[in-house]
Amino acid sequence: MLTGRSLVSVVDDDESVRESLPDLLWELGFAAHAFSSAEEFLTSDYVAQTNCLILDIAMPGMTGHDLQRELKLRRQEIPIVFITAYRDDAVRPRVLEQGAVECLFKPFSERALVEALNAALRRS
Amino acid sequence: MNFANGELGRLRHARWRSNMEVSLEHPAEEIKRLQRCINDLVSLLALPAMWSGSKPYDIVHTLLDSLLRLLDLDFVYVSLTNPVDAAPSETVRVPQSQEQLFRPRELCTFLNRWLGDDPQKRYLQERSHIGDEEVSLASWPLGVQREIGVIVAGSRRADFPRDTEALLLGIAANQALIGLQQGRLLTEQKRVADELDQRVGQRTAELAAANEGLRMEVAERRRAEEALKRSEAFLAEGQRLSLTGSFSWRLDTDEITFSEELYRIFEFDYDAPVMLEQIVARVHPEDIPLLSEKMDLARRNINDHDYAIRLRMPDGRVKYLRTKSYGIRDRDGRLEHVGAIQDATEHRLSEEALAKVSSELAHVARVTSLGALAASIAHEVSQPLSGIITNACTCLRMLAADPPNVDGARETVRRTIRDGNRASEVITRLRALFSKKEATIESVDLNEATREVIALSLSELQRNRVILRTELASDLPVVKGDRVQIQQVILNLLRNASEALSAVDDRPRQLLISTERDEGDRVRLTVQDAGVGFDPQAAERLFEAFYTTKNESMGMGLSVSRSIIENHHGRLWAAPNDGPGATFSFSIPRGPEGVTGARSLGTIRMPAAEDSERAMGDPC
Repeated sequence: MLTGRSLVSVVDDDESVRESLPDLLWELGFAAHAFSSAEEFLTSDYVAQTNCLILDIAMPGMTGHDLQRELKLRRQEIPIVFITAYRDDAVRPRVLEQGAVECLFKPFSERALVEALNAALRRS
Repeated sequence: MNFANGELGRLRHARWRSNMEVSLEHPAEEIKRLQRCINDLVSLLALPAMWSGSKPYDIVHTLLDSLLRLLDLDFVYVSLTNPVDAAPSETVRVPQSQEQLFRPRELCTFLNRWLGDDPQKRYLQERSHIGDEEVSLASWPLGVQREIGVIVAGSRRADFPRDTEALLLGIAANQALIGLQQGRLLTEQKRVADELDQRVGQRTAELAAANEGLRMEVAERRRAEEALKRSEAFLAEGQRLSLTGSFSWRLDTDEITFSEELYRIFEFDYDAPVMLEQIVARVHPEDIPLLSEKMDLARRNINDHDYAIRLRMPDGRVKYLRTKSYGIRDRDGRLEHVGAIQDATEHRLSEEALAKVSSELAHVARVTSLGALAASIAHEVSQPLSGIITNACTCLRMLAADPPNVDGARETVRRTIRDGNRASEVITRLRALFSKKEATIESVDLNEATREVIALSLSELQRNRVILRTELASDLPVVKGDRVQIQQVILNLLRNASEALSAVDDRPRQLLISTERDEGDRVRLTVQDAGVGFDPQAAERLFEAFYTTKNESMGMGLSVSRSIIENHHGRLWAAPNDGPGATFSFSIPRGPEGVTGARSLGTIRMPAAEDSERAMGDPC
């Protein structure tokens, strides 16, 4: 466990995101760990330590929404930044209403990512 | 009266005289005898009064009883020639005391023979033997020649009949004759009256029946007239509703009759008779040759006219008519042409409108499916783009570090290139899919086309958590066809299957797409899903335009798909699975003729590229 850095967990079924995003997050000053599915994240030891969750919406098995609901049921109040490749205008207000910090559409800029992470960490 | 003269008169006179001679010797006794005779005579003369209205049977019986009583006879017998009113032809009366000596049946037989058949033998009188008895018999005719019958009286006395007895017998016979004649007359009158009654009754009944028949006929006629009136009203209403009028055209006189509806269709004045020239003036100038031809055929009684013709109204409106007619001959052999004309203008206009709408809808359906496709493409491109930007940003940061993390930067650049290639592949596939704007025939590898469609649909399948299995035959021949159109069909089938699976939660969402060689040098593609399936009875309706079981579909996808496959001389069909779900298949010939009429399905528009442009901005 790395001290001083906030832990950002990335859950996405897309391999390129799982490869690239943790590296960028490290460069931005965060500690990061990537999971290929919601189930993998839930069964890991990282749930309780995660300061912010970057979460894909459309995934096989549990979706991002499902994971958000599950965490709420478990009273794990992790700030969530959703990322999705489906540009659906109805999605953003819906997830924000459910308590998400932000919803970014892929591809997103570094600045948008940093702003969202900062907002999330302020919440945690 | 006949019996006063002739033989009877003479006989009576002779006997009377001889009796007178005898009786003068004993005047007192003779007077007594005569007095008794007069008494008897009075009794006999009273008989007709008793007989008034009686039947022959009663007359005969009274006569016989009276004679037995008055003449002291052993028997008396009457035979009637033409008995009426059921009277027996022979009647014999024997006093009770003599019944042992003279049996009625034997007497009848004997007397019948004794009288003989000769009606000339009217008055017989002789001694004869009946059985062991010697009997005096005296007969007296009823009627001059026994027209009515004969009476025979018999007595064992040798002096029978004495003159007074003969006299009484004669008078009794005459009285009986009168009575029987009257009875016969009465009976005849009664018979005639009865017969008349009967005939009157019968005729009355016949008349009543005829009257009833007539009444029913009138009622029936009234009903028929009402039914006819109603039927005519129905016909008129039917003509009005169906915009169909009827006409007849007498070819010898050119006399034309129009139904009310036909007047309306031609917009002729109802009051005026229809003239041939009027009709010709109404017909669209371009259709005049057609009309002339049809009229010429009709005049030559060549039948089965069924054609469309146009009218041009004075205000320039065009009406489309459908005409059906044939010739008939009347009893005199005159030719008449009868037929029906329907105003098909609205039908024609709706057909045109429908064709237009249908074509627009096909376009809309294409755009709609392309819209869904565009979302799927955006997703496919966004993923690598996202990786590229993230990696590039990381790379910049790594190079900007002190000291620069060159290895890390190199790795991120390598990933950037990989993601860039991935995005490029998506674009290549898209370009391949949309590059051609017109339908063209080329060699299509169905397996390759299928793989491309799967690649484009993967994310959607993934999103619906569909487990896709492919079984693509390795020895599949290439087919001639329009690749983009065929891919559109495959995409459609995949999307349908994926949507059918999205509602399934109690079993794996399995989807199998397979290709194989089909009979008759064809190739077949099959998409089998374990989804919600469809009602087997609706198997064909699935392919109708606007038929849909989905909330957000216009039901054009399968209809358009079938059109595409049919343009490729192929067949697209659906079948429910034995288990859950459905199987959609198409089979197309490998060529070489390929598609013939790609028609409106040939033009495909590229979706707007605004999404990708907007997303870029400042990447780092």
